[in-house]
Amino acid sequence: MFASVTSVALVGVEPRPVRVEVHIGGGTSAFHLVGLPDAAVREAKERVRAAIQCTGRSFPGRRVIVNLAPADLPKGGSAYDLPIALGVLAAAGEIPRDTGQGIVALGELALDGAVRPVRGGLGAAFVAADLGRRCLLPPISAAEAASMQLGSVYAVASLEEAIGVAVHGHDGSALPTLAAAAASPLDLSRVRGQPVARRALEIAAAGGHHLFMDGPPGAGKTLLARCFPGILPPLDPAERFEVAIAWAAAGLPRAVPDQPPFRAPHHSATTAALIGGGSGVPVPGEVTLAHRGVLFLDELGEFPPQLLDALRQPMEEGEVVVARKGASVTFPTRFQLIAASNPCPCGYAGDRLVSCRCTPRLVDRYLRRLSGPLLDRFDLRVRVSRLDPDAMTGPPGEASAPVRERVTAARLRQGERGSLNRELGREALDALDWGPGAVEMLERSVRSSALSARGWDRVRRVAATIADLAASDVVTEAHAAEALAYRGEG
Amino acid sequence: MSDARLRLAFAGLHPERTRRLLELHGPSGAAAAIERGAVKTTSRIQAEVAVPAAARRAQLQEAGIEVVLRGEPGYPTHLAELPDAPDLLFVRGTLPSEPGVAIVGTRRCTQYGRRLARRYGKAVAAAGWPLVSGLARGIDGAAHLGTVEGGGAGVAVLGCGIDIAYPPEHRGLGEELIRLGGAIVSEAPPGTPPEGWRFPPRNRIIAGLSRAVVVVEAAVTGGALITARSALDQGIAVFAVPGDVERRSSEGCNLLIRDGAHPVLGPDDLVEALSLVLGLPPGRPTPHLESPHAGQQVTGADAELLRLVDDGVGSLDRLVELLGWDPPAVLAGVGRLEAGGTLRREGDTVVRAG
Repeated sequence: MFASVTSVALVGVEPRPVRVEVHIGGGTSAFHLVGLPDAAVREAKERVRAAIQCTGRSFPGRRVIVNLAPADLPKGGSAYDLPIALGVLAAAGEIPRDTGQGIVALGELALDGAVRPVRGGLGAAFVAADLGRRCLLPPISAAEAASMQLGSVYAVASLEEAIGVAVHGHDGSALPTLAAAAASPLDLSRVRGQPVARRALEIAAAGGHHLFMDGPPGAGKTLLARCFPGILPPLDPAERFEVAIAWAAAGLPRAVPDQPPFRAPHHSATTAALIGGGSGVPVPGEVTLAHRGVLFLDELGEFPPQLLDALRQPMEEGEVVVARKGASVTFPTRFQLIAASNPCPCGYAGDRLVSCRCTPRLVDRYLRRLSGPLLDRFDLRVRVSRLDPDAMTGPPGEASAPVRERVTAARLRQGERGSLNRELGREALDALDWGPGAVEMLERSVRSSALSARGWDRVRRVAATIADLAASDVVTEAHAAEALAYRGEG
Repeated sequence: MSDARLRLAFAGLHPERTRRLLELHGPSGAAAAIERGAVKTTSRIQAEVAVPAAARRAQLQEAGIEVVLRGEPGYPTHLAELPDAPDLLFVRGTLPSEPGVAIVGTRRCTQYGRRLARRYGKAVAAAGWPLVSGLARGIDGAAHLGTVEGGGAGVAVLGCGIDIAYPPEHRGLGEELIRLGGAIVSEAPPGTPPEGWRFPPRNRIIAGLSRAVVVVEAAVTGGALITARSALDQGIAVFAVPGDVERRSSEGCNLLIRDGAHPVLGPDDLVEALSLVLGLPPGRPTPHLESPHAGQQVTGADAELLRLVDDGVGSLDRLVELLGWDPPAVLAGVGRLEAGGTLRREGDTVVRAG
């Protein structure tokens, strides 16, 4: 009286196979669930019982033991309802005993037997493809997995349908179309004027550089940032998969899988929301949702210092480790950071026309919050000025598509070198082909103390990207000079 | 008699009130009148006045503070001519023997005003005239900073006690002024906190220590215009730096120009106009401050860019627009000129370095 069904648990964003083992033995009617289940998993007992009865089958009136193996892996959520129900039916002989052999199943059950969407559906499809099995998923997750071309995926809208697929080889439900929930990026043609900021955006996109914009309120910093994903090249299949897995771990479907993600958390976000964590099984945070895409922090100066500090590990390591008593989990965090800030609390410090109302001490404190290790990570810093009224009624700017083409071409050149320019280290920078006068130009800048030693590598990375955009194998003096213009003050 | 006046000064009354008490009770009787309660004051002020002059002198000596009394040697003669001149000044450092040039303006200034104040402070220092200002935030501080950079002396007239660092970020600047042979003065006794009502009357001292007042940036309301008005009352020449007519913080200056103040068009113009009032500068002849090509030979396209910057086009976006070049070309030009130390960033604008 034993049966098993395969399902998955997520460790960080990584799916691991979990065997749902069901044993039905003698004794009085009972239902035990073991194998580190959390509260939501334990409640599966009631849902499974009701759902089985709703299919017209009877729930075994004997001692049912369900074990989730490996037993030391913490399991959370309601996603094990469907495999448990199938396991119980198989162990009770209601359906063939070996039903579980060829499938991987994941899904929450409603009391009437309907299957509800859950987190990690994509991971299950991944495991199923790995094992060469059929995968039974709630319709939304199935549609997502199908869009990633992950093996044979079946959408099951109810327990009855799941039995149909698993036992009788039915096709399940039709795959629903995913709503394009993610707002498509704004087109760059909406940005009028701002030639310098546009150019900085293009360089940032081409080299993957972290970009810092400051300027008075209403200058268009947020608009520029929202246009940014539109000039990034589409994700390649490997990246697309990494992103989808990360999002699925957070229970979010990817409507346009090859579009780089864009996340803009508010400054009131908690550390757990930003970095990942939460109670129970850790959930990925914004930095992971922005993996292979863009993390946009608007009003950087308003973010609490400890939140900005917490960004340092993800930025440096490309992943973040959320420590837990049982096992710590690792989330991928290779995002590109775009930050916008006012130059002072009132926003008008350094403005040509409007005088700043902040006391120097206030400005000082505001800037100190931004300064230090985090600001050091921005290769590009650009000041966004308020628009002249003329420019606002002027012709629309260049659209995103041609910019994206230039960016894509520049990225191809970097691909041949092996990494994005953002990740170039000192040796790699030294090894670039520096044209006559380029290094002298930078050295002169260091001497006139316009460039700090720390800024040295930053400027060289940007110069490399400018050369890539110009399809030049040599980093010329003009490229270096332009790069100098983006280092901001100090 | 000077003892009584010193004790009176420690009452820290409003200057106008001090003046009336001196008229009423005479220089020797005013302090005594407060002490015996014949004048309505607080018990704290009575106690301050009751401290013997000898103890006060010891206290001042310890703090390195000197006292100059009106009508006695050491008191600036120019200031003494004011009808409402302070009876006594607390001084740290050395008061210049000659009246100087006041550069004043708003605390809430723009980059434009700050830059010009600093440049004019430097020009005045280079000409060898003492600069008089209020060490406040904004224009005043920038002017003092320019003086210090120009290696000149200056006088900072405070509204609080001269041992109080206000604003705190200018403490170092004040010390530097003294080190370079200038002075910090105030009519308020040491220890007086910065109270709003003390600042307008202090502006008459700034004017009184000067033979010309330059208003760099001032709204229609504010201390700088009080200084200018006070200067006009005293028959002191008033200069004003023109600004955008739409800019609030320049309205006061533009108004002064309309009413006949001499518009200041640049450091050279300022020095020239000042020489007519103050006589030829005592110091070294003014170096040509606008001389641009100190560090770097600028040629070709970059020279065109530089010309626009000199015309006051500071925003990178405007430069791109006016030059009609590709943004990368403009940015490369700016980067090149910055690297050479010809240009530097100031807020959202690029300006000539130096």
